[in-house]
Amino acid sequence: MSNPIHDRNGRSEQASLPPGGSLRTLMAQDRMHARLLFLAGGFFVLFSAISFKLTLATIIRPMPPQQQQIAPQVPPIPKSDPKGIIAGDTVLPQVHRASVIDRTGQVLAMSLPVAQVYANPLEMIDPTDAAHKLKSVLPTLNEAETKRRLSLNKQFVYLARDITPAQELAINNLGIPGVYFEPGERRRYPMGRVAAQILGGVDIDDHGVAGIERYFDRRLDTDRTPLRLSMDVRVQNVVHDELQGAMDMFQAIGACAIVMDVHTGEIISMVSLPDYDANDFGKAPPDSRFNRAVTGMYEPGSTFKLQTTAMALQEGVAHIWDRFSSIPIKIGRFTISDMKSDHFAPWLYLPEVMAYSSNPAAAHIALDAGAARQQDWLRHMGFFSRVPVELPEAGHPIIPSLHNWGVSTTMTVAFGHGVAEPPLSIVRGTAATANGGFLLKPTLLAHDSAPAVPGAEPAASDADIPPDAERVISAANADILRKILRLDVVKGTGQKAESPGYYVGGKTGTAEKIGPHGGYLKHVNVSAFTGIFPMNAPRYAIYVMLDSPKPTAQTHGWTTAGWNAAPTASHMITRIAPMLGLFPDTQHTAAIEAELAIPMEPAVPRGYRALGPDYDPGTAHLHEHDHEHDAPARAARHARTPRDATDTAQITDRALHARNDVRRTPAQHPRDRG
Amino acid sequence: MSGLSRINTSQAARWWRSIDRVTLICVGILIGFGYILMLAASPAVAVRIGASRDMFIFKQVCFLLLAAGIVIATSLLSLRGVRIAAWVGFVLALGATFLTLVHGIEIKGARRWIALPMMSVQPSEFLKPCFAVVTAWLLTVRKERRYFPGLLVAFGLFGVVLLLLKSQPDIGMLSVITTVFLTQLFIDGLSLFLVGAGAASMVAAFIGAYMVFPHVRSRVERFLHPAVGDHYQIDTALRAFGNGGLLGRGPGEGRVKDLLPDAHADFVFAVAGEEFGMLICLFIIGVFAVMVIRTLLKLLRENDPFIAVATAGLMTGFGLQAFVNMGSTLHLIPTKGMTLPFISYGGSSAMSVALTIGMVLALTRSRLGEGRFGQFGQAPSSNRKVPS
Repeated sequence: MSNPIHDRNGRSEQASLPPGGSLRTLMAQDRMHARLLFLAGGFFVLFSAISFKLTLATIIRPMPPQQQQIAPQVPPIPKSDPKGIIAGDTVLPQVHRASVIDRTGQVLAMSLPVAQVYANPLEMIDPTDAAHKLKSVLPTLNEAETKRRLSLNKQFVYLARDITPAQELAINNLGIPGVYFEPGERRRYPMGRVAAQILGGVDIDDHGVAGIERYFDRRLDTDRTPLRLSMDVRVQNVVHDELQGAMDMFQAIGACAIVMDVHTGEIISMVSLPDYDANDFGKAPPDSRFNRAVTGMYEPGSTFKLQTTAMALQEGVAHIWDRFSSIPIKIGRFTISDMKSDHFAPWLYLPEVMAYSSNPAAAHIALDAGAARQQDWLRHMGFFSRVPVELPEAGHPIIPSLHNWGVSTTMTVAFGHGVAEPPLSIVRGTAATANGGFLLKPTLLAHDSAPAVPGAEPAASDADIPPDAERVISAANADILRKILRLDVVKGTGQKAESPGYYVGGKTGTAEKIGPHGGYLKHVNVSAFTGIFPMNAPRYAIYVMLDSPKPTAQTHGWTTAGWNAAPTASHMITRIAPMLGLFPDTQHTAAIEAELAIPMEPAVPRGYRALGPDYDPGTAHLHEHDHEHDAPARAARHARTPRDATDTAQITDRALHARNDVRRTPAQHPRDRG
Repeated sequence: MSGLSRINTSQAARWWRSIDRVTLICVGILIGFGYILMLAASPAVAVRIGASRDMFIFKQVCFLLLAAGIVIATSLLSLRGVRIAAWVGFVLALGATFLTLVHGIEIKGARRWIALPMMSVQPSEFLKPCFAVVTAWLLTVRKERRYFPGLLVAFGLFGVVLLLLKSQPDIGMLSVITTVFLTQLFIDGLSLFLVGAGAASMVAAFIGAYMVFPHVRSRVERFLHPAVGDHYQIDTALRAFGNGGLLGRGPGEGRVKDLLPDAHADFVFAVAGEEFGMLICLFIIGVFAVMVIRTLLKLLRENDPFIAVATAGLMTGFGLQAFVNMGSTLHLIPTKGMTLPFISYGGSSAMSVALTIGMVLALTRSRLGEGRFGQFGQAPSSNRKVPS
């Protein structure tokens, strides 16, 4: 191993030296030792630095691992809430999204805690046994498939989704190593179809994508107290029931109904048919998800005459004793006429215009007011913008170009053609005429002070009007309009809307629908009824609309609103009013009727010159603008927005051909159209 | 230990008496940790590289056993044996390193490996300890033989090694060998001015590497500007330490380690941090520190310049490798892929480190009163050993 030569070579110099070596060698050794000490010191510093950094990285300032890096290791500890302190019975612990409830506390939408089961097959001891045990807890599990997945050479496989907490506990108790849970929650709508379009839906990540869920997405995620809507599910159910019945009976392709508190703007019920089960939001066809009450744009037809009349009264253009011509108006190629004018006088008093719903007369009223005042009025009443309601689907109305608002536009808009409005806008405008003249913001949220059961308090008063509501109609004029609406039900086109003891008032409206090629379809209507009850002390606005109803034997071939929408509204009122705390008052019928009465042909008070055959400035207006005869066509074209004909009534130049919805009261001449 | 059967065990008993037992035990401890941490890190790595985990473990167990064998076998060598082994090893490793440039496997843009059946070998790993011993010999022999240009030859060999490593390129190995070389010159008694100049030229070379090699630049920049760029690796490593805390998550309970790209090699220290916590990591650092510093301090009683310079060089390389590995894992220095001696996975690394420690053990054996080793030559110079 060793030999002397080596040693000689290696240490010849040292060996020759005396012990202790020469001075030079000693100095070299000392220097070497000093430098070795220095080197050792250097390493001491380096290793100390490492130790220091290690201490820093582990306990002094540790960088926490990201959640997904250690997810299987440190599962979040669920918060136990055995006494339900965190929330009432409608909020479950462990879910973050708040429930949605109706005004009576019924749950409309809630998040249920669920868990996803996954496994790390590499940690699996016996896949066959594990699959078998899991099957005992999850009956729907595909055992063979689960076994296959558990045998994969992967670190992550899903086994089951959306299992209940009870199942999660049971699987946990099986004690299978390598099986993990991922907590989650699922949005459920226990009422199914009730208010489906209003509630909307959420996506897979629980973000609201439609309806209330979307509009209040942030609120629902941040505040765990349930969101209380103004809806009443009982009323909603009845309205839905009646509307579905009407839709089936008249074979309509769609329908819509709204009940709104005229003092607070709270929407008690809002139904759009066809609808869908809110739990199947993702699979529902677009036509079912379409909320006709706020997204659907329909020509309001004669219901819009209420606005024309309100404008005329409020602007001082017309008085109830003024008379207007019902003689068909020829303008260019078009004629504005009622279906048959031989049943009422050529000149109608203002109450008669509304009761008989004469198109030419309404056109004359608008002519008297002029285009500018008409536009201002409609803008003021919110007909030119989105209806302000807490739904992202609220659509923009379709209105003629404001720059080409000629005489013909003025006249057609006066009887609700050439514009398309969402039903909720019509209800809003109607409520303003009945609550004393205040324009409200419709709302889907229950007011904080709102009683759980609407109408549980005694008759509401004007004091209920929200402070920010704007007065648009004077109290006196609102009173007149109220009586006119009642007159329409008592003696006019809306007679079938009457519900004994509830003194319904309202206005019918029928608009012809537009076919796929732009022309109005002769026998396809959108018929609507917008009303108020009870008229002696208005509480609720009600609106019923049927899209393309078919004639039946009961309607004697009619498809106009007085024959289908009005009776549907009557049925609804009869059923929902008691729920709303209103009971039929048949004791004081005579007194109430007397209070609401307005003469069909009021006498002209002394000192006024009434409008009539001998004094008609508006008609002069018409002849001034004779040269504008092609204006309506232009205006209408501007206003047209291509849409599915079943969703939105369109506007065409044939708007001028719109006919009166019911030229006579249904009760009087039922056989005429057999 | 040696008392029972002097005839049969005298060789082994003498070896046991003369060996630096503390360092030997430290090696045992490190090999033990290497085995445990390889078990912890292997599942994720086996999945990532698509190899069988059993094969992975089997290979490393073989490597570690081989390494232990090399440590013991090398420690049996005499001084001359060490020198011869170093020369032979140096020539072979140099040749093999040259071969990598021709027949090497290219991994991540560098040719450092030669494929052999069962394993691939990184010859430059063996260059490091051998060159340290060779340098020590050259530096000391020049003082005995005036005509022998030891320093010049040493610089010449260093130049060759430098050129080879630069061509691979292997900047990490290059800087370790350079640092070891400079340290040896320093210990040998080179004037401080020249040592300073050497250190300065090293700094200059680093700056040059920063300019020339894009991957060096990106690593340094990522170190200097923590807010910029991709820090996935180092962040993950630090999160592993953070997850471990004082006492660790427990064996097999690490999770962040599964996401570490090189959990079995460069980032094995982070695995230790996550599963066993700060205390065990401090213990590992302590083991390395004891091995390096204790051996260096022991050299203070050593007067043979060859032993001192060679051992200092070997230990500097060993300690530096441990420091660079742990330092880059802890983000103390820029990331540099270097294995943690005895603990990281890898055959070449384990065997090269075993060779290093084996040589150190052989060089630092207590030679006082050893009968047979001294009997061939003249009496051992008395100034070489200080009785302890």
